[in-house]
Amino acid sequence: MSEKDIIKRLLKEAEIYRTQGLLSDSKAKYVEILSLVNRNPTFSRNHELVQGIKGKIRAVEKSLRELKERPDRPELTRDMQKLIKKLFTFSQTKEAAAIEGAVALAKFGQYDQALNEFHSLLEQGVLPVVTAKNIVRCCMSLRKADAAVEYYAKWLSADLFSFDELKELRAFIATALEKEGVRIDLPEVTARSRKSRAKRGEETFLEISAISIHLQGDSLQDRSLDLEVQFQSANTVTVHLPSNSREVARLLAPGTRLDDIQCFSPVTVFRSSGTVAGTATIKHGPKRGDYTLDITIDAD
Amino acid sequence: MAVFNAKDRIIECKLVYYGPGRGGKTTNLEYIFTAFNKNASAEMVSINTMGDRTLFFDFLPLGLGKIRGCEVKIQLYTVPGQARYRSTRKMVLKGVDGVVFVADSLEVRRKANVISLRDLAENLKDEGKSIFEVPLVLQYNKRDLKEQGIPILPVEVMNMDMNSKLKAPFCEASAIKGDGVGATLKQALLMTLRELQKELKWTR
Repeated sequence: MSEKDIIKRLLKEAEIYRTQGLLSDSKAKYVEILSLVNRNPTFSRNHELVQGIKGKIRAVEKSLRELKERPDRPELTRDMQKLIKKLFTFSQTKEAAAIEGAVALAKFGQYDQALNEFHSLLEQGVLPVVTAKNIVRCCMSLRKADAAVEYYAKWLSADLFSFDELKELRAFIATALEKEGVRIDLPEVTARSRKSRAKRGEETFLEISAISIHLQGDSLQDRSLDLEVQFQSANTVTVHLPSNSREVARLLAPGTRLDDIQCFSPVTVFRSSGTVAGTATIKHGPKRGDYTLDITIDAD
Repeated sequence: MAVFNAKDRIIECKLVYYGPGRGGKTTNLEYIFTAFNKNASAEMVSINTMGDRTLFFDFLPLGLGKIRGCEVKIQLYTVPGQARYRSTRKMVLKGVDGVVFVADSLEVRRKANVISLRDLAENLKDEGKSIFEVPLVLQYNKRDLKEQGIPILPVEVMNMDMNSKLKAPFCEASAIKGDGVGATLKQALLMTLRELQKELKWTR
């Protein structure tokens, strides 16, 4: 193949990469071609050819710059945001679904709308600590650390959180600020309790999608058991054990205390403890012979 | 994960098209939407507000009709392929039942394919799934570019790079022409529904 044919082929390749949107590869190819052309006196004296290739390189560089300048996460239309919430909310309970929807918006970079929804949920008293943390996360993602601190200062005087919850939030914000290298003094939490213990009991228990129980016993050799939650009522979850887990089912008899349960919800993961409230063997249907286990998770 | 509505006897499962940026994921869905329009239960949604690059995801719901007395619906998604959209890919992968990995056959994209496959494996792991267990089909796209004299990777090399351990079924394709798109989808659906059959303990 003659050098002229090689250049033609390479030009075609560079153009295909450009039309495919592979701009960096296209630029690299044009640069390679220019180098090839400049090494050959016959071609390097062809002013039109050299300028043509340089023009292509400039055009691709311009496209690359425009691509770089595009916002990573443009704000979507309200309809698209609703679709995101619809497609990426899996929780069955209303409150967990509301939080999950707002979290989905945040994960898709729709921070402003996510913030609106989190504020609304906080006003309604929906899982206040989880919601407040998500407000802080949104602020940090929007590079508005001072806004996060302002919200926290407002929460100190609002009747939304207990003393312990405010301390937890303060620690959370402090960590978030430190991660971003932001130095702002956070107001201290005063000794007054903002919300009575009795009121906390009224809160809806977080929806749990899965649990991980740490098992100990000679036959089980100290392992973790991961179980999907089939059903939940308040803080009691029902999980399913296959029929070949007789030893595990025997170990988890009603009344058994579980000191280390890791609980997975759509919005957070937390450690707790609990008690086996009941077990049963499934007598009918496709899961006959399997076991169901009811576990009551401690509320605090 | 697949949603089974026992009352209405409807099964909904989720298939995600994954792969490096500009590899042809959206083109696959666009072809499926055009070719199988009568099966589409709604319009295809593409959230790519800037030009033709997917910034968020594409979404196409399809109905497959009745299987064993159950209405089977499939939701097809694509993910944005660029490296910086990892958190979006993680979100879209939530609840996935099957994956089509669209690999770019261009020689210059060899490394990008491997990086993207590794990204898929990590994100599936975060979902509590293994890339070795989830129904997965590899599509080697842009095979048509060979005819235009553009260097593409031989299938053997692509299998060596991506499939030597996975041993997943693979299809050669040219999504822009529609070649191999249907075959890929069919293979992915077969594998996904077989897995569902095991999960729901359907018997013959």
